[in-house]
Amino acid sequence: MKQHPLCTDTEHCHNVLDLPVPADLKQEWAALQTRRHFLGRTGKVLGWAAMTSLLCDLAMRGDASATSANGQSGILSGQDLKLPHFAPKAKRAIYLFMSGGPPQMDILDYKPNLAALYDKDMPESVRGSQQLTGMTAGQARFPIAPSHWAFKRYGKTGTWVSDLLPYTARMVDDLTIVKSTNTDAINHEPAIMLMNTGNMSPGKPCLGSWLAYGLGSMNDNLPTFMVLQTKVNTKQNNQPVSSRLWSSGFLSSEYAGVGLRSSGDPVLYLTDPNGVDREVRRKMLDAVSQINQQAYEELGDPESNARIAQYEMAYRMQTSVPELADLSKEPQSTWDLYGPEAKEPGTFAYNCLIARRMAERGVRFTQVYKRGWDVHDNVTGMLPVLCQETDRGCYALVTDLKQRGLLDDTLVIWAGEFGRTVYSQGGLTKENYGRDHHPRCFTTWMTGGGVRPGITFGETDDYSYNVQKDPVHVRDFNATILHCLGIDHNKLTYKFQGLDQKLTGPTPASVVNGLLA
Amino acid sequence: MKTLKRAAALAGRLFPKSKTTRVVWFAALVASAALLLLPWLVKLDGRPHADWQQFLGRFHPLAVHLPIGLIVLVPLLEIAGRFRPALREAAGFALGLGFISCLGALSLGFLLAFGGGNYGVAVTRHMWGGIALTIGVLLCFLARPWWTSGSVPRVYPLMLACVLMVLVWATHQGGTITHGSNYLTQYMPAPLKRLSTLGTVQANAPLSGSFYTNHIHPIFDANCVTCHGDGKVNGNLRLDSYELLMKGGKDGPVIVAGDPEKSLLFERVTLQPDQKHFMPAEGRPPLKPEEIAWIRAWIQQGASPSATSLSGIAISDEPKEQPLQPVGDYSGLMPEIRQMEKGQGAKLIPVSSKPGDGLILSTADAAGSFGDAQLAQFQKFGPYIVEAELGRTAVTNASFDTLSKFAHLRALHLEGTAVTGDGLAKLAPLSQLTYLNLSGTKVTQAAIAPLTSMKNLRHIYLYNTPAQPALNGEATKQIARSAP
Repeated sequence: MKQHPLCTDTEHCHNVLDLPVPADLKQEWAALQTRRHFLGRTGKVLGWAAMTSLLCDLAMRGDASATSANGQSGILSGQDLKLPHFAPKAKRAIYLFMSGGPPQMDILDYKPNLAALYDKDMPESVRGSQQLTGMTAGQARFPIAPSHWAFKRYGKTGTWVSDLLPYTARMVDDLTIVKSTNTDAINHEPAIMLMNTGNMSPGKPCLGSWLAYGLGSMNDNLPTFMVLQTKVNTKQNNQPVSSRLWSSGFLSSEYAGVGLRSSGDPVLYLTDPNGVDREVRRKMLDAVSQINQQAYEELGDPESNARIAQYEMAYRMQTSVPELADLSKEPQSTWDLYGPEAKEPGTFAYNCLIARRMAERGVRFTQVYKRGWDVHDNVTGMLPVLCQETDRGCYALVTDLKQRGLLDDTLVIWAGEFGRTVYSQGGLTKENYGRDHHPRCFTTWMTGGGVRPGITFGETDDYSYNVQKDPVHVRDFNATILHCLGIDHNKLTYKFQGLDQKLTGPTPASVVNGLLA
Repeated sequence: MKTLKRAAALAGRLFPKSKTTRVVWFAALVASAALLLLPWLVKLDGRPHADWQQFLGRFHPLAVHLPIGLIVLVPLLEIAGRFRPALREAAGFALGLGFISCLGALSLGFLLAFGGGNYGVAVTRHMWGGIALTIGVLLCFLARPWWTSGSVPRVYPLMLACVLMVLVWATHQGGTITHGSNYLTQYMPAPLKRLSTLGTVQANAPLSGSFYTNHIHPIFDANCVTCHGDGKVNGNLRLDSYELLMKGGKDGPVIVAGDPEKSLLFERVTLQPDQKHFMPAEGRPPLKPEEIAWIRAWIQQGASPSATSLSGIAISDEPKEQPLQPVGDYSGLMPEIRQMEKGQGAKLIPVSSKPGDGLILSTADAAGSFGDAQLAQFQKFGPYIVEAELGRTAVTNASFDTLSKFAHLRALHLEGTAVTGDGLAKLAPLSQLTYLNLSGTKVTQAAIAPLTSMKNLRHIYLYNTPAQPALNGEATKQIARSAP
């Protein structure tokens, strides 16, 4: 029986159509109802449509919770869908990060014409309307400082390398040198954030976290993403390197980088305290896990699950990390290659050796930080030390990976957050000079799985100031790294604050095909 | 005498009776003559002309498919008309429409070639093909009434057959202009290829062995000659032989020996792809960085046709990696795989989200407890495994029996295991295997000798083994490469 839509008393409220009223009035009433129903149903339909899309989205996201609830969703049920989009060339990556900004024209970007321009003013046209840092913006003049060091050609490719890098020079035929890397930021913190997370503001996940999120772990006993810091040389101008750089941002904190300490125990409190054996530890963890589980059921905060996973990882690391850090079984050839420094924990060479051992054990992404490249003054004093500290380690790592057959599917990346200016900061003498931050071009290199060995990509102008050919923006650089690891940078996204967030950000980025093998 | 008489009789039958028909025929013959004279009236001089001509002309590749479709439809309609007469009537209409669209496509084609300054053998052939086709279609249209009335039964079908053959030839020439002459044969199976090239002589016999013939000419061949070859000569420039390359085009020489920066060719290929004069034009992929480096070095060092090597340029003659063979779809087996993995520590991890990329056997969590018996359990999934990570596990020489059945195996890690190499020969049937890591094992030179017969096995790692060559890792790869 049709009733007035607003009728609440169904027993006494009569259907209008049964009442003795004229037929045309009944018709009008019926039409009225239709309109009300139309509007009412439209609302419901929209509601259903919205709900369907919400539910579908949840089911299709492949979130761990949704997958396990469905049990058999997707072709690869049981395993969360952390897979490369296409067959990758590299399964893992090692990122040697030169924090501070290495001066490109003193190491790899050879500019022979500069010698004749010593102490000449840099032409206005080269700088254009660029805003400089507060450290040199006030300088009366911008005198050109040619590199203090000679360059020679090395390898079959005849690549120019500075005398500062005798070891790197030996492996130039394996390297993919990018002279045209460029960034948007001129100061350390924004630049290093941009390089690592694709965004200058903190809060976004870094490259390693995206990889851990997108590819998952290869070895359940070690973290997917590890960070090694090199011991600080206090004579150098060290910029802070904080855990923001290996933060997982809005991704689950399971994907954050796990740092190993550069001295003492690699991980604090790794050994069980006196009187606590492995079994007691296990029982305790089980109990804590139960409590955390309860908290999760009550509050539904996914970070509770992340916490449980991290406790379990720490438990497994109690055995896997001592084995990782035990170098006693390394043959003499290792020490011949890496040099005696590698025996001292915390040195760059030691970290390179550990990075190789982690690559062997299936750690997906290792980042080694070396601070101190911020040579605002005393370049001739500090740069040789910096190069001497890192040059052999880089060469040893690449060579070691190569001889062990690991370089085929490991991508090694060497980069800083920006380059340095060709003009001298502060006074320029024949003996010494300083260099300020320079975002418009800097030199980086890669080698290993996925990239084309023995090429130099991109060109800078005669002053190593502007990119002249094939610019590679940080976005493109990161997109290329993801590509080598089988990830389409446009597809690896995470919904956060209403946006499909991704490492390369909203500005279109592209994989640099010229770098690929 | 007899033949003469018959010819006269035929002519009598053919000669149009009514005055209108005579006028139509006369007009048609005049039109045909005009079409035949067209190439002399509008001479393709190889110089670009007005932009509007090119603008309209570029619709030629689009418009040209209408007459093709209509003409192909005609014989089909004629045949189908035997069974349904209405279709036969449609054939006449299709033919008429075909003629009109032919005229349209022909004029657009002329605008394209004339406006864009194209000329060359293929362009000329295509032009004559188009003219012949248009005339043929016109004559078919006029001859068709004889056939339908039954007065002259054979002329029309014969003409139609000829028109179809001209169509095939003319359209093929057109395809050659846009896609290049090897477009159809590039991916032809080898036996067919041999048949199709039988008896053809390699033109422009190369000065064999020089850097130009080995490295520079192939770049032009692959990227440039479609528009700068004998088929089509844009900008009056041909790059299909050394002499023609050095001769240059409408703007003079394109190569200045010793000075790449002043060489127009080098300038054009190194522009940014979005710039107007960038080459290869029309959205074709840019040259690869190393190709540009070779061209630069070649020009810099004299652009010689005979120099065999250039300083500073090393080109590895390593064979190109073959495309990977896809493996079968394992997704149906996934529940079974997950079941078996439980308690194993070893996992089968998909290479990517595409099942055709196969699975990786990962033992990182099992290590010491994973032995030959455990490996044997994975035999069932062997055909889907493309990579076996058995480094530092407890497998021994006995594993080769199981591994030899992993037909799609591409990479095998045995580093740090107890294998000594006895029975490595069993891996010989693994034709896809490209990577074998035996570092840190006890294998000897003698044990790996059988591997030299495996052609695809390019990377063998023998670091820290008795078989390790004197030098470091550099030399380990050489072993496979020196194989016959």
